Amino acid sequence: MDYFSILLLLFVSIGLACLILGASYFLGVQLPDTEKSSVYECGFDPYEDSRNKFDVRFYLIAILFIIFDLEVLFLFPWSVSLSYLSSMGFWTMMDFLFELTVGFVYVWKIGALEWE
Amino acid sequence: MITEFYTFFEKSPFKSFLGLNTTMDFSLVHQNCFKMFLPEIFLATSILTLTLYSVFIGSSRNLGYPLIIKNLNKLCILTLFITFLIINNSSVFSLLAYQNTFVFDLLSSNVKQILVVATILSLVISEDSVVRQQINNFEYLILILCAVLGLMFLVSSYDTLSLYLAIEMQSLCLYVLAASKKDSSLSTEAGLKYFILGSFSSALLLFGISLLYGITGTTNFDNFHLLFSGIGFDNFSFAPLIEKALLAISAAFFFKIAAAPFHMWSPDVYEASPTSSTVFFAIVPKIALFTAFLRIFQIFLSGFEEIFVIVLIFFSLCSVIVGSFVALRQKRLKRLLAYSSISHVGYLLLAFSSNSLEGVQSLYFYLIIYMLTSLCLWSIVLSLNTKANLTKNKTLLDLGSISHSNASLGFTTLVAFFSLMGVPPLAGFFAKIEVFLSALGSSLYFPALIAILSSVVSSFYYVRLIKTMYFEKKEEETSCIPVNHSCSLIMSLCLFFLIYFFVNPNFFLLLTQKMALCLF
Repeated sequence: MDYFSILLLLFVSIGLACLILGASYFLGVQLPDTEKSSVYECGFDPYEDSRNKFDVRFYLIAILFIIFDLEVLFLFPWSVSLSYLSSMGFWTMMDFLFELTVGFVYVWKIGALEWE
Repeated sequence: MITEFYTFFEKSPFKSFLGLNTTMDFSLVHQNCFKMFLPEIFLATSILTLTLYSVFIGSSRNLGYPLIIKNLNKLCILTLFITFLIINNSSVFSLLAYQNTFVFDLLSSNVKQILVVATILSLVISEDSVVRQQINNFEYLILILCAVLGLMFLVSSYDTLSLYLAIEMQSLCLYVLAASKKDSSLSTEAGLKYFILGSFSSALLLFGISLLYGITGTTNFDNFHLLFSGIGFDNFSFAPLIEKALLAISAAFFFKIAAAPFHMWSPDVYEASPTSSTVFFAIVPKIALFTAFLRIFQIFLSGFEEIFVIVLIFFSLCSVIVGSFVALRQKRLKRLLAYSSISHVGYLLLAFSSNSLEGVQSLYFYLIIYMLTSLCLWSIVLSLNTKANLTKNKTLLDLGSISHSNASLGFTTLVAFFSLMGVPPLAGFFAKIEVFLSALGSSLYFPALIAILSSVVSSFYYVRLIKTMYFEKKEEETSCIPVNHSCSLIMSLCLFFLIYFFVNPNFFLLLTQKMALCLF
């Protein structure tokens, strides 16, 4: 009985998803062409030789994304439990954010975020 | 000052704003921890500041994208010097800080001082080489500072988790340093090799730590100490599993210090990475790694003495034999020095395996003398320059007839090699005899005999180098580029220590005695 609300949420979300997808499928105007019906894969042709060279900049962006995304992830538990923490906990996070900002400034100034 | 800061914070509007209602007097609890951590805090802050400084100056269009590597080298030396002063200034007493994850005692502060001084000296001697090899990225020096910070954490870590994190911090910096010459395929290959083998050994370390945690339910050295002191291990049903965990941890340790048969990465990495990085690898990290693992093994040695001593002796003899015999066939100077360092790691492990106060003392003693000698040798390698071989890897032939072209450089090389060999009036002799005496004192007669015989073999290639320097004529006489001032200063200082040691050995003996006493 405890999980009834979750079951309800599951049914509602499935129903809502079907409703939205179905509405756009039946009501929308459809004029397919080659560009529209091709697979979208961030600039690559999905059906070619897998041993292709591709740009190292993709890796760079991915690594930077992972670093900043994961570091920001630490903020959620901290902000939820902030009222239980001592000033030590507060200042530790401030220090962490400061170092993160230094890293961000470094990445920005060195030009790693520019695609060209 | 720290206290003032926290009393300020306690009264500040932040507290009511955040709803912090702690009853604990935070300022008193963490005051000492902060004081003890001041060198690390200073170094970390300086790393951030230097990063910002160099990225703003180095990528400034108005200044025309200046090369700041020489300037930054001086700043790094200054930073490390101030760090040294702060370590010197802190009043040393034994203290466990931050939920017992870090320990601060005489051993850790002494090793930190040695680390910082060794880094300063290696930065000074490799300054010209960094410029000559066109390593223009300022990150190179920042990474060296980060590695030193990691090593300083490693020295005082007192928990397997902080140990693991500190090891990862320093080794990640070292991987990048090995690959820091981006346009050379050799250097990138060295970085990749180092990275793969290093992460393999870190995985082994983590495996051993997780086994220990699974058995005991704790990761802290203090708790291990409480658990394992004074109980008989014969009645303990988990003893075999603990043995396996310790074997995994020690395998990782032997990987990191390049003891045979886990030494395969070290000659390749030494040879292929830029010489300035090799100098850092060869001189600085070993003493911190030895300290961290001495701490962990000292807890378990009492209970697992039989198996542990056998393992240590096996690795020590393997390293001594491999280092002596394989070095006979080497033609390149950096590879030769890499194999020579493997054989010296063997002597260090022999001192370790004697499992006594004298053993640990002779280990540190040998390590310090070895650091001095290798500092001298690497500054010689960095200054063996003629016009023809300026950017090439040096071979043994580059030493040829150096006694004619630069007599004082030749004499320094001679003394350094004799000291490595262990010829009586020099410091290396005393270091070796301490190691062998401590091994004999624990009645390890057979291992000591093998080590002495291999040291005879290894003296063959040192003597052959001396023969090349003094008794062989090169066909064409090439003139050396003069040695620069800082290099020659450090060479002569090391030379002085190696010779003066005979007159007054007390300083290092007392220092190592005090360091060893901290572990017992």
